[in-house]
Amino acid sequence: MPDIHSRTLGHRERLRALLTNPRYLMVYATIGIFLLIYLFGALLYGSKGFTSVRTFMLFFSDNAYIGISAVGMTLVLITGGIDLSVAAVASLTGMIIAYGTTVLGLHPLVCILIALLAGVGLGALMGACIQYLNVPPFITTLTGMFFARGVTSLISRESISIKHSMIDALAGFKIYLTWPNAQGEWVKIKPVASIDLNTIAFLVVIVIGAIILQRTRFGRNVYAIGGNEQSASLMGLPVARTKVLVYSFNGLCSVLAGIAYVLYVKSGWNLSLQGAELDVISACVIGGVMLSGGVGYMFGTLFGVLLKATIPAIITFNGAMNSWWAKIFTSVLLLLFIMIQRAVIASSQRTRRK
Amino acid sequence: MKKAIASGNFLRSKLFWAIVAELLILLVGFILRPDFLSIQLRTLSDGTTVLFGTPVDILNRASEITIIAMGMTLVIALGGTDISVGALVAVSGAIALKFLRWDVLVYNTPGDYTVQPFYLVILLPLLACTLMGLFNGALIGKLKIQPIIATLILMVGGRGIAQIVTDGKQFTTQYTPFKFIGNGSILGLPLPIIITLVVVLGVMLFVRRTSFGMFVESVGINPNASRVSGLKSGTIILIAYVLTGFLSGISGLIYASRISSNDSNNAGLGYEMDAILAVVIGGTSMTGGKFSLTGTVVGSLIIRTITTLVLYFGVVSEAIMAFKALIIAVVIVLQSEPVRNAISRRRDRIRTQMGGEARA
Amino acid sequence: MEISFPGVKALDQVDFTLRRGEVHALLGENGAGKSTLIKVLTGVHRPDAGTMLLSGQPIRPGSTQEAQKMGISTVYQEVNLCHNLTVAENIFIGRQPMKRGRIDWKTINRRARELMLRMGMDIDVTQPLSAYSIAIQQMASIARAVDINAQVLILDEPTSSLDDNEVVNLFAVMRELKAQGLGIIFITHFLDQVFAVSDRLTVLRNGRLVGEYEAGAISKLELVTNMVGKDMNVIYNLQKAPRPDEAPVVLEASGIGIPGKVEDISLNIRKGELLGFAGLLGSGRTETAEMLFGVVPVHQGSISIGEEPLSLRAPLDAIRRGMAFCPEDRKRDGIIGDLSIRENIALAVQATRGFMHPLPQKEQQELAQRFIKLLSIATPDADKKVGELSGGNQQKVILARWMATNPDLLILDEPTRGIDIGAKAEIQRLMLEMCKEGRSVIFISSELDEIIRCANRIIVMRDLAKAAEVDGDTCTQADILAIIANEGEGEEAAV
Repeated sequence: MPDIHSRTLGHRERLRALLTNPRYLMVYATIGIFLLIYLFGALLYGSKGFTSVRTFMLFFSDNAYIGISAVGMTLVLITGGIDLSVAAVASLTGMIIAYGTTVLGLHPLVCILIALLAGVGLGALMGACIQYLNVPPFITTLTGMFFARGVTSLISRESISIKHSMIDALAGFKIYLTWPNAQGEWVKIKPVASIDLNTIAFLVVIVIGAIILQRTRFGRNVYAIGGNEQSASLMGLPVARTKVLVYSFNGLCSVLAGIAYVLYVKSGWNLSLQGAELDVISACVIGGVMLSGGVGYMFGTLFGVLLKATIPAIITFNGAMNSWWAKIFTSVLLLLFIMIQRAVIASSQRTRRK
Repeated sequence: MKKAIASGNFLRSKLFWAIVAELLILLVGFILRPDFLSIQLRTLSDGTTVLFGTPVDILNRASEITIIAMGMTLVIALGGTDISVGALVAVSGAIALKFLRWDVLVYNTPGDYTVQPFYLVILLPLLACTLMGLFNGALIGKLKIQPIIATLILMVGGRGIAQIVTDGKQFTTQYTPFKFIGNGSILGLPLPIIITLVVVLGVMLFVRRTSFGMFVESVGINPNASRVSGLKSGTIILIAYVLTGFLSGISGLIYASRISSNDSNNAGLGYEMDAILAVVIGGTSMTGGKFSLTGTVVGSLIIRTITTLVLYFGVVSEAIMAFKALIIAVVIVLQSEPVRNAISRRRDRIRTQMGGEARA
Repeated sequence: MEISFPGVKALDQVDFTLRRGEVHALLGENGAGKSTLIKVLTGVHRPDAGTMLLSGQPIRPGSTQEAQKMGISTVYQEVNLCHNLTVAENIFIGRQPMKRGRIDWKTINRRARELMLRMGMDIDVTQPLSAYSIAIQQMASIARAVDINAQVLILDEPTSSLDDNEVVNLFAVMRELKAQGLGIIFITHFLDQVFAVSDRLTVLRNGRLVGEYEAGAISKLELVTNMVGKDMNVIYNLQKAPRPDEAPVVLEASGIGIPGKVEDISLNIRKGELLGFAGLLGSGRTETAEMLFGVVPVHQGSISIGEEPLSLRAPLDAIRRGMAFCPEDRKRDGIIGDLSIRENIALAVQATRGFMHPLPQKEQQELAQRFIKLLSIATPDADKKVGELSGGNQQKVILARWMATNPDLLILDEPTRGIDIGAKAEIQRLMLEMCKEGRSVIFISSELDEIIRCANRIIVMRDLAKAAEVDGDTCTQADILAIIANEGEGEEAAV
């Protein structure tokens, strides 16, 4: 056999390959810029408490709903699609829980069940529309968004606050972070930091999402479809089933995000989470998920959410700047990441190894 | 317009059904409330006579979307989309009010005056929005970035820019010439309707009297063949987004004038969705290709008519979304490939039975 | 092992037999029916008549997935794998081994590496497929097919993007698989490769079976003659344009090329000359034309018009310099299906004018009518959509588009394909008239008699390079066939 490809990769080469893989590069960029901005905030406002554990935990708990939704959205984006209905479904979930517990007197779990049926059902319907009727995902999920918002408004025009004991208990659930003090007793750290249910949920869902993407056939099929749907079909993969499932799963994530949001604000309002779907999508893009499909890592999305969270935090600590600067910085960040994505694609097309 | 109908063979069916849909909805309104379609001339307290009535209202309120949708039609025909238009509307209003209330530190109360020349109040917002359209067009046309993600940047950042321009404040003005834009009328017709008419005619003339329209359709249908034939898609795409930006600026001025202030949170909210829907209902396919400006106008009217109808009967304005969604769902299902194929096959069968020529 | 008699419209009573443990080449020019045959074998099309037997059992695959399960796998030129996944994953996707409910990556990577090693590829299978060359991607595709227990492996133009070393490696793999009992169908247009690795050959032409041969029993010249064939004797009342030996050179290209594809092409053409490009499909004719017209950027060498060197960044530049290009793939590069005939014809002219100076409707109509008449385009009116016309008429519309630009140099890539005899004569007459008017024409065609009939000079392309330049008046079809077959020079590809 001709000896043209004999090269066994040693550890160093493997490490180099890991570092230079273009898709990983984008995640590194995200992590890198996150660290940069965090450092920036630490330098400027460390004394004000930016670097405290409390602040760091708040990144998770304040943005849990974005993060949970981003998990489902990551899958959708990897298949090359998009889902604009996530915020609407989350808002609907909140309304169902609020109205159900407060006005109808139902048990929260019953409400959650109803919301799950609605969210997953809508997701499946949209997925079927996209797959079988060939309607572009943008339009389909846009309609889904209108529909969900509409139903939310039909349920109630006003904000309903939730006073159910279970919800209060769940929202109030905290694991306080402690460390031993000088006397060797375990006391809460100052400023008080805790892990609440939202944070746990956020992390759990991210881990589950990562496992799905990396360890299940379903997840790998998602990548394949995003890479080349026609090839995937020719290779015998269950494209139709996978796509419908992806949108259904995203519906599930939207509902879970809605629950997280309810625990956060303890109310249901038909105008809540306006525009949040684009926050979720930007978080994914910043996290290295490509809108063209086929590329993305849950790990990247996690840091995308965190990175997005640092900017408003810095603005808040600054105190002097108009909070709208956060939106501008985020959009600049988005522009930066889009450019990086483009550069990475262009360069990876040039270097083809033989 | 004649040419639009003549050359839009397959579109004719979509346009036709869109018009039918609009007439049907109007009919429903008429049946439920006979004065739904009535138009009267009324004299206002200041002596001017204006046309009044629901149809006038529909045309009037549809202005902002219709104007933007004209540009959106071209963008979609090129296979793209522009979700930044709502944010541009907000920016437009913010800049206008900023220059109207340039004096806000000196004269705290809004009055019937402006310190800065009026032409600046109009020109600068339009310029800013055109430049933002240029930003979009450059990213998409020259750097070949995906439209949704490119226009997402301004969608996220645009409102921030609007807020920064006015330093987060909401100004009001009583300056008559400015208020005239959204609230005045000429010869009985509300000014927004007249502006819309001018814009629609202007875009139609530009698109059909030059070969720009043909170029857009060509690039949208077959970018490869267009390139071999000498078209430069980058420039064509750039112009489409610049135009859309400019039109968003106009729309923003009308909105700001209506409320005589700048509301950077709510201005243009949802406009991008409505504009896209107007285009799609009007028959232009989201995958690009042949487009119909007339269809877009009808589509925009349909959306506004539904909203008006539903409002008229006391349904809460937020629930309108649900109705919109249902109707749009029906429309897009009907327009979807599998359904259209099934319908056209049945139509061909009927045609050949009747001895007519079967359409391909 | 497998016998088939498909009878689709594009195939007529074709018999094809593949034996276990052989490499069987399938040959034929464009439109000969090769791809249709493959589509029938892999279940994309259902044959109207005939039967297929696999190991003696009749089969009727309804889709590529079904065919795959039956043991018929295809490796396409575009490598139908997912480039964002790793090599190992592409081989195993859809059937990954699981451990405790989760994908067992270790096993996947290990087995993939073994598979690739067996094919002579010592690579890191955990890298994404896109990081590797087409050669390796193809190997991955073959590895996947083999691992799915293919009995029949169809290789569709596998060598088009490979360099000589990679071709050698591919053939080694093919022989190895052959020894393991696989039946391989090898589709290619590189004749030397056919003889290097195949046991038997089947030639198709115009949807019909021309013959089945043992590789050792046929010469290259005979093969080429069978593939290209002699056309019917039609009396063309054509008079060639005079050889403009003294006329100024209109276009000169020296050493142009695209690394990895066509390399080092030099040619020139004079005013009033008709230059023919002969050669088999895939020999580089279209690539050369695309370079001349600016469809693809030229990486080496230079092109000049008159005395000025040319920098062509886009077709518009070429059009503005008086060039026109009627492309081969009219569906992809030619017709704007949803636009009318009139708009299609006016398109290139309009492109040079820019959109601010539209051609008045009346002029457009006149232009369209003129060419409808000139080229006998069968249509009731000029506002019909081009997509609704027949293939031949579509071709005429494209031709009209380019003729409308009044070019000094017109490049025609297979303009007469899919057109009836009468129209073919028309187009040839038109070309000659254009030359008499002082324009230059580059005429690319697979039909040698056409080229010989019309061209003053003929460039023969072979294997992505210029093989020879011959005088159009004195050479014969046999001469050109000999050049293409590369016989009479005693050269054999080094395998």
